[in-house]
Order: sequence, then structure tokens, then C-alpha cells
Amino acid sequence: MSPPATTSSAVQSADALLDVDQIGISFGGLKAVQNFSLKLPRSGLFGLIGPNGAGKTTVFNLLTGVYRPDCGQIRLGSTQLGRGKPHEITAAGIARTFQNIRLFPNLTVLDNVRLAGQLRNSRGLLDTVLRTRGYHQEENGLREKALNLLEIFELQDRAEELASNLSYGHQRKLEIIRALATDPKVLLLDEPAAGLNPQEKRMLAHSIQQIRDRFQVAVLLIEHDMPLVMEICERIVVLDHGVTICEGVPSEIQNDPRVIAAYLGGGLEEN
Amino acid sequence: MVGTVSLSTKNREQKSELRTGNALLGLLPIAAGLGIATLMHFFLPGLIGQFYARIVTDIGITIVLAVSLNIVNGMTGQFSIGHAGFMTLGGYTAATITYYGSMFLWDSAGKHGGFLGSGEWLFIASCVAGGLFAAFAGYIVGLPSLRLRGDYLAIVTLGFGEIVRVILQQTGKTIDDVEDFKNAGWAQLIPPPVGGAVGFDGVPKYTNLFWVYAVLTITIVVAYRLKGSSLGRAMISVREDEIAAQAMGVNISRQKVLAFVMAAFFAGVAGGLFAHERGVIISPKDAGFQRSFDYVIMTVLGGRGSITGVTLAAVLLTALPEMLRDFEQYRLIVYALLLIFMMLVRPQGLLGIHEIWNFWQRPKSSVKSASPEAQV
Repeated sequence: MSPPATTSSAVQSADALLDVDQIGISFGGLKAVQNFSLKLPRSGLFGLIGPNGAGKTTVFNLLTGVYRPDCGQIRLGSTQLGRGKPHEITAAGIARTFQNIRLFPNLTVLDNVRLAGQLRNSRGLLDTVLRTRGYHQEENGLREKALNLLEIFELQDRAEELASNLSYGHQRKLEIIRALATDPKVLLLDEPAAGLNPQEKRMLAHSIQQIRDRFQVAVLLIEHDMPLVMEICERIVVLDHGVTICEGVPSEIQNDPRVIAAYLGGGLEEN
Repeated sequence: MVGTVSLSTKNREQKSELRTGNALLGLLPIAAGLGIATLMHFFLPGLIGQFYARIVTDIGITIVLAVSLNIVNGMTGQFSIGHAGFMTLGGYTAATITYYGSMFLWDSAGKHGGFLGSGEWLFIASCVAGGLFAAFAGYIVGLPSLRLRGDYLAIVTLGFGEIVRVILQQTGKTIDDVEDFKNAGWAQLIPPPVGGAVGFDGVPKYTNLFWVYAVLTITIVVAYRLKGSSLGRAMISVREDEIAAQAMGVNISRQKVLAFVMAAFFAGVAGGLFAHERGVIISPKDAGFQRSFDYVIMTVLGGRGSITGVTLAAVLLTALPEMLRDFEQYRLIVYALLLIFMMLVRPQGLLGIHEIWNFWQRPKSSVKSASPEAQV
């Protein structure tokens, strides 16, 4: 596969694809995320790390509209997203996977992918009931597109099985396929390596880079597996207690005393 | 190989079998259903007698109600127990139109014209009007479903049925005399003269096997086509996982309201059929929760989202009490026991999420392994 098209030098450029400016949210008195900013370039591959409870998934929920930010701006390309509903944000081009897998268990693998593919071209009730030519064309297109995706990820043989019957690793994979089926510009992966064995993690790392290149998406990755994050991410943001404590390229992050303190819980002088 | 994505670079070459649309082909199932309905109308009463023909009519109406409720409860996963409210609302609307419409047009509230005669067309148009009115009510009830889940939504829909019941009890006496009706001022039409607590008597009895099974055909075709379509998948995704559905771009508010409106429409039409059925006097208590509960039981017993399963349950639960008329007072006890039994041995319902033909269709192991180099 070709090397990554974009390098970290593009990071600070003004034409970031996803531009998050000072967003924050509180739940009661708890400031879950404060002043979170991020500039994710086109085809960038960034990591978001931090100890448990640091607010990583909350950031994802803010970016995808599950929570509405109390303050701050989110811009995707030239679109302001800040207060959009989740389905509008998905349609605008941000797709995600979930930390605890959230497939549609009683739908087939194919239907899981088809459902994600249909968001921009849904036919009306009348077309559906009368089974018009346009309806058939669209359904055929959706099926074709979904099978193509499944084939790319070598899951086409399982297309007619229920999603709940897939193995854990395949379910994780299907989540990624499903997110890609929405034709995203930005892909948010929430701990995709959780529960995979070392061998599978290595392949996942390779896959994520390939996905980025082949589908031309920018990727933001939450992951606890440090070797994986350090290997593939161009830039890393470290969160602790809802606050960004550090941002930089992997080598900077690895040696940053604040990061080590956040993970190991010690004071700075102990390092 | 589990977590891997070795992105195969080649494109899919062969296309899956494309089904091309043809408007006439799309109407085929409906035409077939209408043909069967016509045959039933002319030959069934002769074959099995009036008593059983009446039960077959009841079964048809019940299936329409259960299958439509299944769009909300089974497919979209919104627990509604106010379905009889929509039915009764539609029934009263339709009955009002035919009763007073007949007086206005033909100076008599009696039946007018024979099979497919003008009276029957007024009747079926009034049923559609009843459906539309119920659909409007469905829209109103659907709105709170955007904010409420589970038990809370169930209570709202339960309350809706009770509201319909109480309001209908407050209506005025029917106007029996044509001259009185024609001379009636607005004051006598408010509240609407639809019989009050005793029910709406004197509605012309137009309902017959043809119309019931024609409506049933359309209901099932619509429900089935919905289920297999993008719209239906979106509804099912709301049932499966709302958060994930949103993340996949599904407008869950729209899907929920659409489900409520569609279910209410068919319930309203079925209510029209019910109100014009021989031997029936539609009354406010039809909107109560007992009748709603009957339909909920059918969807639960049949299986969430399974159209054939729910149809089967509707047939069983309508036919059995009729066959066991002498034991009618035990009906609710039997229902309760049946439900407990089902929840213990088969909580997913008779057919679960499947349709009946899925059971003797061998599970398809693979769609196609197209690429020769695609190894597992």
C-alpha cells in the first residue's frame, strides 16, 4: 500500500477538515470535557488517549451530536456542526464506532451495512409501497454497495447471517464497515482494538492505515493500546480529567512528564 | 485473520441479480388478494354458513389491527397500548360519514345499492376518511414518543385510548329522523350526535367479506413491503438500538412518528369496517384498554415484527374464543396463562423475528463468494 498521503506537517494548517474549537460540557457539577480543541487535517490519523474516565468517549459523543456542547464550535469542512442532531452530523460526514459494540443484532450483516448506506437517498413511503422502478434501482444500488464493502473486508460470506452470530472480532470489523458505509469524511474509532489478541491488533493497525488511504477519510482513534497508537498515529492528544494535557507527535507524547504522571498517577518529580 | 482488513484491490465484477421494477408487477399481489376476496365474498358463506363467515370477517378485521399495531410495537419497538383508541376513532368517523351521509344523499340511513354499488363506495370512502382521521391522531400521539420510552410511552398511549373512550361517552344521541337531521342547527351537532355511552346504533351494515379482505390485502402488502425496504430497516434499527441508529444517519424521530401514523391509519380503516359490521354497535368502550390489550397480546404472541406470526396469532386468538363461546368468561384467564406460558418457553413469540417461510427455507450459507482469491 502507498504511504500516507498527508503528513503531520499539515497539522496546523488553517484548512483542517475537522476543526474543533474550545468545546466543553458539564454534567451537573462535573466538568466532563473542558476547552477541547482539535484540528484534524484531511486524511489525518490522530490518536486520542488518556486514563479511564478522562473524557475520551465524551469527546466522541460531543463530536457526533449525542451530547450538545455547552460551548465551543465544531466545523467540518465549511459546515458548522455544533448543535446538529446525530443523524444530521452523520449525514454531514462524521461516522463513528462504539466502544461497547452497538450493532443491530437482529438484522443481517448485509442489512447492518445497507442501513448505514441508505442515509442520503431514502425513498418515500409511496415508492416503497408501490415498488416503483426508482425504488428497485435504489435498493439494488444499496445492496451492491454494501456487498462491495463486505467484500473489501472479506466478510461477504457472512452477509446473510445475523450480526449477533458473528464472532467478537468480526463484530468489531462490521462496526467499522458500517461506519464506512455512511461515506464519512471523518471516522471516529472508539477502542477498536479492545478485546483483540496481539496478532489481531497488529493487523488492525495495518487496516486502519489502509482504510484511511483507500477511503480518503481522516481518522480519530481512541485506544488504550499504546504501541498501536504510537505506531500508526501521526499526532496524539492526551486527555486527563476532561482537560487536554498534552498534544504532539508520538515521540513527544512518550517522553512528556505530564502524560507519564497522568497514567502512573505520580507527581512530576517521581519521574 | 479476525481483526484484519486485507483490502482486496479488485472491483466486484459480477452484479447481483438485479430486480427491475415494473409497476404492473408491483400491483400483482394486490390484484391476487382482491381476486381471493371476491371469491370469498361470493362462495364462502355458502360453503361454511353465515355463522362461520361472520367469524372469518372478524378474523380479517382483527388481522388488520394486529398487523398494523405490529408496525409500531414490533418493527419500531415503541410500546403502544392505545391501538383500540385509533380503531374506535376511525370507526366513529366512518360511521358518522355513512350514517349522516346516507341521510343527506339518499334520505335514509339504510343500505343503498348492492355489491360495489354507490352505498358501498360511500362506505369505503368513509373508512379511508376514518383512517386519515386516526392517522392524524396517531401523529399527535406519536409526538410524545420522541421523548418517552418504554413504560412511559405505554402509559401515554393507554391514556389516549381512555381519553377517546371518555370523550365519546359525552356525545349526543343519534338523530334518527331524516327531517330532523336536515333541519338540525349547529347547536344540535355539537357535541356530535353519535350515540353517547350506548354506542352508535343504526349504522348501515355494509361490511362484507370482500371489503374486509381487500383492506387486509392492502395492509399486509404495505406492511410486508415496508419491512423489506430501507424505510422498514430504519424502523427496525430504531427498535434494535436508537443510539446506533442515529449514528448511522437514521432520523429516529421521523421513523417513530411515521410508524405511529401508519399504524393508526390502518387501525382507523379497520375501525370503519368494524363499525359497519352486522351485529356490531360500535361504542365508547371499544376504545378501552381491554381491546387494545388483545392486539398487544397478538403482536407479542406472534413475534416482534413478524407479519405472518402476528397474523397467525390474530387468527388463533379470534377464532378460539368464538369456538369456545360457552367459556367466554374464562377468556382473559386463558390469555393470561397463555402469555405466561409463552414468556417462559418462547419469549420471542411464535415466530420470533422471522416470517413463516423462513422456517422451511434452508438458511442461505453465503450470498456468493465471488472472488476466487478471497480466502477466509
